[in-house]
Amino acid sequence: MLEAVGLCKRYYQGELDVVAVDHFTYAFPPGLTAIVGPSGSGKTTLLNLLAGFDVPTEGEVRLDGRVFSTLSEDERAEVRLRHMGFVFQQWNLIPTLTALENVAFPLMLAGHSLKERTERAQALLAAVGLERRAKHLPSRLSGGEQQRVAIARALALDPPVLFADEPTGNLDSASGARVVELLLAQAQAGRTVILVTHDLELSRKADRILHLRDGRLMRVETPSAGLTRAAQSL
Amino acid sequence: MEVLALVYRNLRARPVRSLLTLLGIVVATASMVLFLSFGEGLRRALGAELSRVGPAILVVPEGAEAFSPGYPELRPETLEAIRRVAPSLGIVQVIPTAVFARGGFDPSSSFVFQGLPAGVTARDLYPNLRLAKGSMDPGDWGAVVGGGVARRNNLDLGKTLRLSPQVTLRVVGVLERSGGLADNFIYVPLPVIHALLNTGNYSSILVAIEPGRRAEEVARALEERVSGIDAQTTGDVMRFAERAVRISDLVRFGISLVALVVGGLLVANTVMMSVYERIREFGLMRALGAKRRFIFGLVLLEALVLGLAGGLLGLLLGQAASGLVNWFTLREVGLALSAVTLRLASFALLVAVVLGLAAGFLPARTASRIRVVEALGRV
Repeated sequence: MLEAVGLCKRYYQGELDVVAVDHFTYAFPPGLTAIVGPSGSGKTTLLNLLAGFDVPTEGEVRLDGRVFSTLSEDERAEVRLRHMGFVFQQWNLIPTLTALENVAFPLMLAGHSLKERTERAQALLAAVGLERRAKHLPSRLSGGEQQRVAIARALALDPPVLFADEPTGNLDSASGARVVELLLAQAQAGRTVILVTHDLELSRKADRILHLRDGRLMRVETPSAGLTRAAQSL
Repeated sequence: MEVLALVYRNLRARPVRSLLTLLGIVVATASMVLFLSFGEGLRRALGAELSRVGPAILVVPEGAEAFSPGYPELRPETLEAIRRVAPSLGIVQVIPTAVFARGGFDPSSSFVFQGLPAGVTARDLYPNLRLAKGSMDPGDWGAVVGGGVARRNNLDLGKTLRLSPQVTLRVVGVLERSGGLADNFIYVPLPVIHALLNTGNYSSILVAIEPGRRAEEVARALEERVSGIDAQTTGDVMRFAERAVRISDLVRFGISLVALVVGGLLVANTVMMSVYERIREFGLMRALGAKRRFIFGLVLLEALVLGLAGGLLGLLLGQAASGLVNWFTLREVGLALSAVTLRLASFALLVAVVLGLAAGFLPARTASRIRVVEALGRV
């Protein structure tokens, strides 16, 4: 389980002390958790800290009970590789690699053989409906297809935690719906999916919504869709 | 697969820039190969030349350099002294020679006359020389011309050579080309050179020893018993020449280093620009779990590929240029002055690889230290 305990991030801009994340404490259970808030509320900074892209000024991030935020950069990279998957709003794919090679990239970092990673990447692309686009470079894929390749890549090493930062931000509604559907499927499969968005309609599909303002966790909401899914799973 | 694909496709994604960088290394490596090939060629030519010389020992004035006869300084008394000790040292033949050179700016107007005593022919000095036409013996007022000089200057039997207002010689023999330096000499009677230079001295004295004698021992004994001489064996000459060639190798390598440094800076510039353009890509890789050393290796590999490819192509170009030089020098002086040996080829590739690695180090270090949040614009 991913936990944030008393997480703070301060920036010093000249003499100005900017608090981007302010004593954020929360344990993320499996399922879809949406983090919402207006611009500048600290959503992206919080995700940076949770994913180990950045280190907190105070507090810590734990993964399965082990403190993760105090590890070295390379150790945090290793934790990300094995335990986390990422889908960003843009700059998601390596432009010089094909869709298949992009999906196989984390498998290569983890030391899997060429045969293993090719087979796994092909299966993942098929799962997101892109088996016919395996040999295409990202520039030949639509925005929605690129996001689906990113989801396939995020699942390559079967990580327990999935981060999605505005994954539908640049997509038309049909492509966005397909991406959301894939993320929801992962949440239902028991993964911890953390979705950062300012799209309130999208957030209503989550199991819980964390409302952020000025870097603080203001309240946790359980929307009806989440309740319905919880009831269905009982 | 993905790593090599990344390197290859990134270089191909910016074809003009990659090509220009490659060209820089190709030119740098080719110029180094060509410069250093002269040293290798000289070593090879010298070895071949020495193997063509008949007598085992060359006597020159003390302190003189091998193969640079200069003004005749060996006096007739020295010749007599050598002849006196000859029987006790196993010396079977003593041949005094004098050299007169008339220089020009190109080989076709340069002539080297080697004066031989009566009864001695060019073949006594260079056993592999063969007569094409006429006589091997120049007689009193004749000249036997080497195959190279005969071809370059259309010298044939009966033609006259005017060495001074008082001295005119007639060509009495023409030699076949043997592929050595001896093809460029004109063999004349020793008194003619003496008359031209107004001296009775000799440039060098060639000493042949009986079979079974060790040239080194005879040379050292000769130096002990005859004052004012250096007795050089082919080994001595090779050692001396090796020292000289090595010094000139260093000088030529120093010159080619300039081109190499420029080539290296080109690679560094290309790879650094590529790193700055791909900051987001490296940030993404780091976000996905790539360690610093992976990014470092990736960028270094790119520089290495440029270095190695440039090195290989440069080697080929250098070899072609060396072939062109040899075609010219073989035609003009009958010698292949340039040689691209396995040793030189390996050295050139090694330099190109080291160049690639050195040029890629700083960009690789920069790329590996990129912060994920900054690279992905997530600040």
